Order: sequence, then structure tokens, then C-alpha cells
Amino acid sequence: MTKFNDNEVSRRAFLEGTGAALAVAATSTPLAAQTPGAPASTSVPRTAIRVVVNGTAHRVEVEDRWTLAELLRDHLGLTGTKLGCERGECGACTVQLDGKPVYSCSTLAVWVDGRSVRTVEGLARGGRLDPLQQAFVEHDAPQCGFCTSGQLMVARSLLDANPHPTADEVRSAMAGNLCRCSNYNRYVEAILAAARA
Amino acid sequence: MVRDAREESGVVALADLTVRAASSSESTMADSLAPLKTVGHATPRIDAVDRVTGKATYTRDVTLPGMLYARVLRSPHAHARIRSIDTSKASALAGVKAIVTHENCKVVWGAGGISGGRQYSDEVKAITRQRRYAFNNPVRFVGDPVAAVAAVDRHVAEEALQLIAVDYEVFPFVLDHEEALKPDAPKIWPEGNLSLDADNEAKPMGQRRGNVEEALRQSERVFEDRYSTQFVHNAQMEPRACVAAWNGDTLTVYTPTGGIANCRHDMARDLGIPEEKVRVICRYMGGNFGNKNQNQDTDLIAATLAKLAAAPVRLEMSRKEDFIGMHGRWPTTQYYSVGVKGDGTVNAIRLRAVSGMGGYRKNSGGMAGVELYACGNTESSIAPAYTNKTVSGNYRGPEFPQGYFGVQSMMDDVAYKLKMDPVEFVLKNMARTAPGNAAFTNFTLEECIRRGAEAFEWKRRWRPQPGSDSGPLKRGAGMAFMEFRSGVGRSSAVISLDGKGQYTVFVGVTDVGAGAKTTMGLIAAEELGIPLSKLEVVWGDTDRCPYSVGESGSRTTIMTGYAVIEAARDLKKQIVEKGIPKGEQKLIASATPNPTVEGRKVRNAFGAHFVEVEVDVELGHVRVTKYVSVADCGRLINPLTAKGQMAGGAIQAIGMALHEDLIYDQRTGQPLTAGFYYDRLPTHRDAPDIDVLFVESDDGYGAYGSKSLGESGKAPGPAAIANAIFNATGHRFKDLPITRAKILEALA
Repeated sequence: MTKFNDNEVSRRAFLEGTGAALAVAATSTPLAAQTPGAPASTSVPRTAIRVVVNGTAHRVEVEDRWTLAELLRDHLGLTGTKLGCERGECGACTVQLDGKPVYSCSTLAVWVDGRSVRTVEGLARGGRLDPLQQAFVEHDAPQCGFCTSGQLMVARSLLDANPHPTADEVRSAMAGNLCRCSNYNRYVEAILAAARA
Repeated sequence: MVRDAREESGVVALADLTVRAASSSESTMADSLAPLKTVGHATPRIDAVDRVTGKATYTRDVTLPGMLYARVLRSPHAHARIRSIDTSKASALAGVKAIVTHENCKVVWGAGGISGGRQYSDEVKAITRQRRYAFNNPVRFVGDPVAAVAAVDRHVAEEALQLIAVDYEVFPFVLDHEEALKPDAPKIWPEGNLSLDADNEAKPMGQRRGNVEEALRQSERVFEDRYSTQFVHNAQMEPRACVAAWNGDTLTVYTPTGGIANCRHDMARDLGIPEEKVRVICRYMGGNFGNKNQNQDTDLIAATLAKLAAAPVRLEMSRKEDFIGMHGRWPTTQYYSVGVKGDGTVNAIRLRAVSGMGGYRKNSGGMAGVELYACGNTESSIAPAYTNKTVSGNYRGPEFPQGYFGVQSMMDDVAYKLKMDPVEFVLKNMARTAPGNAAFTNFTLEECIRRGAEAFEWKRRWRPQPGSDSGPLKRGAGMAFMEFRSGVGRSSAVISLDGKGQYTVFVGVTDVGAGAKTTMGLIAAEELGIPLSKLEVVWGDTDRCPYSVGESGSRTTIMTGYAVIEAARDLKKQIVEKGIPKGEQKLIASATPNPTVEGRKVRNAFGAHFVEVEVDVELGHVRVTKYVSVADCGRLINPLTAKGQMAGGAIQAIGMALHEDLIYDQRTGQPLTAGFYYDRLPTHRDAPDIDVLFVESDDGYGAYGSKSLGESGKAPGPAAIANAIFNATGHRFKDLPITRAKILEALA
């Protein structure tokens, strides 16, 4: 996975220098718009960013008001990430940002400049399902399936950090992912099974 | 891909949990449950891989060329008349392509306000006086749609909403459903706040058996009490959305509906176009729990905008909009009078109740529960009342958890006052026949209760003296039971066999989450005598699929499943008559059975929930420490998905019992808790292990004896939990949800 470590702007530094950063972007040569159908409205601030998504490097001009979810779903064609609330209270939109789970609905697209994102579409490798995906299938973790992408991304982050969690640790880590079908116990069962695999 | 799931670890246990019902002398059908080849084996969903790889396409994932984005402007007032709307500034905003309001859109939303709950009847909708439009004037709740904009992107659409100026004449409002029925309450409809029924008459729903007044006079003891339940939002994870596109005079709608056939019919009727000109597509949907079996006002709004703008339109709803613009379980207030004889037999039950329907009468407002008891003298009177609140509608057993909480808390209290063990009281008084002494097709409730009590260790967990544990952590046990409608009825299926040996099943299901695609596949495979892997299931598109009853009311497995069996039988007959197809040949079999149950027999699923709680009386915290859900849902088609349904229903019951509510500000009529966080949905941390125990039976109806499953898993839960809290604390909480604040106020 490509990382732009030398040029990477930390989020804090970015936020601290927001004005400066935007000014830099505005004066540099604008990239051709990559979003078909959007109005060429000069009043909407835009920023050119570089981001690696599921291992592929993208250079894209985003509107400053776009969330990461919007960038992924509407402009990069990755609709596997779902929107359940768009206000940080359900977790359906969870993706990995530099390996850590974040709510993509509450992350601005401009904040991922120079960083790497992994979505549910990036879990399977070379046509083989991730052990978590396999376990989800076998243990019937998705009912309606709408929360499933988010549950997978958090579970992946959990197992990356803690390969052998207890059931309680799983529930704690996943507390930010709602499931109204309330299939919680199946998710826990599947994650523990994947951890054993 | 067929997997023998018995060998998979973690899944083997499911087979152990399934207990064959003892042969019943009341059953006239085959006694023992002979195992089947494909049906009855835990099978992963046929679309599971799509769901875990992000390939499943939900409505908001659909993008069409030239598609516009729509947003809805909703009333900020609980009750108001729109004097005028000025959309000129919004129209002038660059990128805005169409705007609709009640002035240029007179579309009636037939399924949105049915006046009587006979929701699938065109005759009722044609005569009803209290019509609900896509845009109403006056507006009757905060969230009632006022205008909608289609623009080149959602940000422009949102900006345009801000530019629409609406001049409202604000009216007084009423929020409480009992207050709404008082003579001086603000009138939400000209005819008053008691909702008109299907015959345009304002009268409560009810039933009467025997002579309740006389029976109460003759009872040894009479008990009276009041119980109430709250509005509970369906809160499915996928917010409602719609993509509408016209091609000439043909409309295609992508929408998360549980009933594509019903939605198509509704769209055609509401828009005044022939049904053949409407196509409804729903490949995947993120849950509904009963609120999506027909069309939605947003479907009509999207279609109207698409026509005006001459472009496809995707209408998206925010989570708050879904909370206030969709619907949830009707709140109730219930008053019971119960008379008992000296030996503890229930002699008389009278129920007077009010249901809060919101601004429109979308569904029935009814209440189940009184019929649970073998009592010859009963009387119910349930008044569905309008309120200036979000509309109430169907949610997982629409009339069950509320009525069950009321009557089974009431009876649990009667048992306590008679110094009877609640299980003994139930076994003594449960109805062994349907109202009017009609027989059930089979009766396994007693077996369910006995097996459940044993698995739960009722005698060990139930405290004969409620609240008797010393210290601040008090445990107790409670139970509640169910007799859940499982009627048969009409649905359709088509199965084809081509020259390459490919079997295809066409069913009008969308799979709301219960696994209908797989269930239908298993049934077809069983009847055809082939492995599931040789079968393809086609679903979710009215252009390709026949009518299905729609995934609500726990009817798909029973009715569409049976249609699949009949279609399979017809296909087998055709194979015998015409031979296996070769080359370009194709055999097509279709069936639209409309079976009935013989005689006056009634068909029910049976079951019970046993719950142990630990209540921290100093902190007001309730923890569920043991939960056993036992049920006879007939024969299980897929034990893997069946167990998930029952466990999910139980956890939703916990949410209803302890947390969830849509709270309104009394001064302004504003909903305050319109979202997941405020509404306190159960999270991973609130979900205890649910032990699910199935008692299988086959009464000869349904698909291989299948009965209601999807809804029944929630029905007795809130009552069981509330009864457990009483047993633990000695205090009866009579108003749901039983929140921490209520516990502290009562006990600390």
C-alpha cells in the first residue's frame, strides 16, 4: 500500500493550518474535475487530494464539504460502505483510515489527503474472502445486511489489534456498530470463529 | 452452494436445540415430524457472499445516467395550515430542476391512511373520507411533507429547501392520545380525533363474548389496573430512499419495499396509470420490520419530481427524517378489569384502550392479548385516536407486544395476588381453543411452556416472594406466552426448467432480512428433489417475478412457500407428461394457490419467553441475565436463519421494555429523540445471549407445516421482561419503557 509519509499532513496540523492549506490548494493548478454531473460552481471550495483506496492511488478534486462516505460512494463507485444515519450514531459507514476504524460519514474527504483508506470492497484478496467474511457467511451474521460492511471493518481492525479477543472485548469494540435486526450474538460468534481460524 | 452445515462448528448446536413435538392427540395430521432432505437443515444464505463483500445493491446505491437528487421539506409545526408557499427563490438557484408542493402535486397516498387498517382493499381507499396526500394541507405532525426539490446534487437540493418560504397558520396541537379524545381537544380532522374506520364511521374496534358485566359481578375477586406502552420506531438500519425514472410513460422505481407487487399496485393506483406501466425493483433492502410492504409517500414524490424534471430522481431521507417521516409502533393506554373465581380461573376480562395513531390512520391500532385466555366472558373496546405526532404503523407483530405487555402484566399481578406461580396460572388459564371455541390446527403451547420452563430452570430462578433478594442487586424471573396468527392465504410462484438442466424459481420477494430467498430456494429444492446448488432464485423485480403477499405479517414462508411447492408439483407433472426439456426447450410451471384451513380451525404459532433480570436498585440498571425463547413455529425451513429471527426479536423486546421511546416536547410539539442515539436502541453491549428452543410440529398447512416466525419472536418479550423486573424488585412498573429514571424514582 502506497503511503505518502514524507508529505503526509497530520490531521491536527491540517486543521491548524486549514486556511493556509486551502490557500495553497487554490493557487495550484486545479485538476480536471472527476465528478460527472456536478455543477462547475465556482463558489464551492474544492481541494485536490491524493488518497489510496483499497490499494489504488487516486488523485481527485473534492468539494470541501464532501464527507469521505460521499467521496467513496458517489465519486469512486464504492457503494459497499452504507449510510445509516450520516451523523455518527450507527457505525454502518465504518471504514479503515490508515488501519484505524472511522465513521466515514463524519470524516471530511479533505482530511484523507495523503492517507490510505480500506473499505469492505478491499477485504477480499485475490478473490479469496477474508476469514471474517467467511465466518460471517457461515454464522449467518448479516440479516438485512445493511450494518454488515461497518461491522466487518471494525471487526477487522479489532482482530488486527487483538487477534484473540474475548466475547466481552468484541462487544466493547463493536459498541459503535448498531444492528437493528439485533443479530449481535451472531456477529460475536462469527468474529470469535474467525479469530480461531 | 450446498453445505451440510451440521459439520460446521458452531452450527451443529442448532440441531440439538430443535426438539420434535410429542405426537399430539389433537392433531389429525401425521404425528411424527419425518426429516426432509433439504428443508430443515441449517443453510447459509444464497446471497450471503454479496452481503459481506459490499456487492449487494441497496436503493441508495443505484445511480442512473443524468440522475438528480431530491430532498423533502417537512413541516416544523405539529399542526398548521399552509397559507402560501413561495418557491421562487429556490427555483432560481442554479442546479434546481423541479419543485413540488401541495399546489402542483395532488397525488393521494392511498396506503398512508387507510381508515380502518384494511390496508390492501381498493374499495376502502376509494370511499375513505380522510385522505392522506403526498403533500397535505393542513399538516398534522412535525415532519409532514410540505415540498420537495430535485437538483443536480444533494447539496444544491438541501440549499434549495432553505430558500422555500412557507407561511403557516399555526394551530393548537394535541400529543397525548387520551387527551386527544376529550371534547375540548384540538381537532386534527374535521370529524374529530377518533379515527374513522373502513366504513367511514368513528367508532372503537372491539369484540365481545359472553356477558362481562354479569361475570364480573359473579367473580370472587375483581382486579383493575392501567398499563401503557410507548411509541417504538421500527428504526431499520436503511433509511428509506427511492430512485424513480420514467421512460416515456413507463415508470421504474427502485425502493426498499418488502412487497414489490403491492408497491407496484399502489404506485399505479396513486399515480393514475396502468399497472403494466410500473416496474418496481428491490434487490436488497436494509430491514423494515413491517413498515415497507407497500409504497411510501417518498416513492410518489420521487416519481412526480422525475416526471416534472424529465430525469431520474433519487430521493434520500436522513435518519431524523426516517424517524419522523416513516412510522413506528402505536403507543397505547390500556385499562383492564379481570374477574377470577375462587380457584384462580379467569372468569371475565374487560379491556378499554386507546391507541395513538399520529396524524393519519396508516394501520389498525388494534391490540392482541385478551384472546390468550380461556375465558368465556370478554369485552374489548379500542379507540384509535389521532394525535399530532409521527404516524403509527406496523412494526413486528403490530398489535401484539403492546397488548401482551398490558394483559400479561395484569395477569401476572393477579397471579401474585392469588399467591400462584405465574407458570401455573398460565397453564391453568391459557386458551386451548380459539375464540368461539374453534379448534386450533394443533396445540403445542403447553409443551412449549413446560419445556421452556425446564430449560430456563424456572423453579430455581423465580422468587416466590418478589423483591426478596437482599442487597442492591436483586434477581427475579418472569414469563409471558404467545398464540400468534399463522393463517394461510394466496400467493404465487413460477419455476422453470431449461434445456441445460437449470431450474429457476421466480418469487416476488425482496428479503427484508429474514432470508426469504434462501427459504424459497430450500422449499423448491425439497419439492423438486434436487440439491439447492442446482437452483437459481430470481427475486426483487416485478418485471420478472410473480405476485407475492409481501414480507410482512410473517406470511412469506407460509404462503409464498406453499406456492413454490405447488409450482414445483406442477413442474414435476409437466416433466412426466412432456419429458425433460432439451436444447432450446423450456418448461414453465406457475401456481397461485389460495388455500384455506378446513372447517373453522384457527392456525397459530405458540411459544413463551422466560427472562431472568438482575436489577441494581441503587443505580436503576437492569441487566438481562438469562433469556429463553421457546416456540413452535411449525416446521423450520432453515434453522440457521430461524434462530437469528427469534434472537433478534427478543433483543428488540429488550429495547422496547427498557429503553426506546419517541419523546415529544410538550410545549412545541417537536420530537426530541428522533434518532438512534436518543431513541436508545440496543447496542452490542445491551445484547445478552438468547437461548432459542424450537418445538417443531407439522399441522399439514403452510410450506411443510411452517408457521409464523419473523414477528412472533418479539411478541411476548416486553411482558416477560416486565414480569421479571416485578419478581426481582417487588414493584410493578406499568408504563413502558421501564427506564432507569423510573426505577430510581420508584425504588431508590
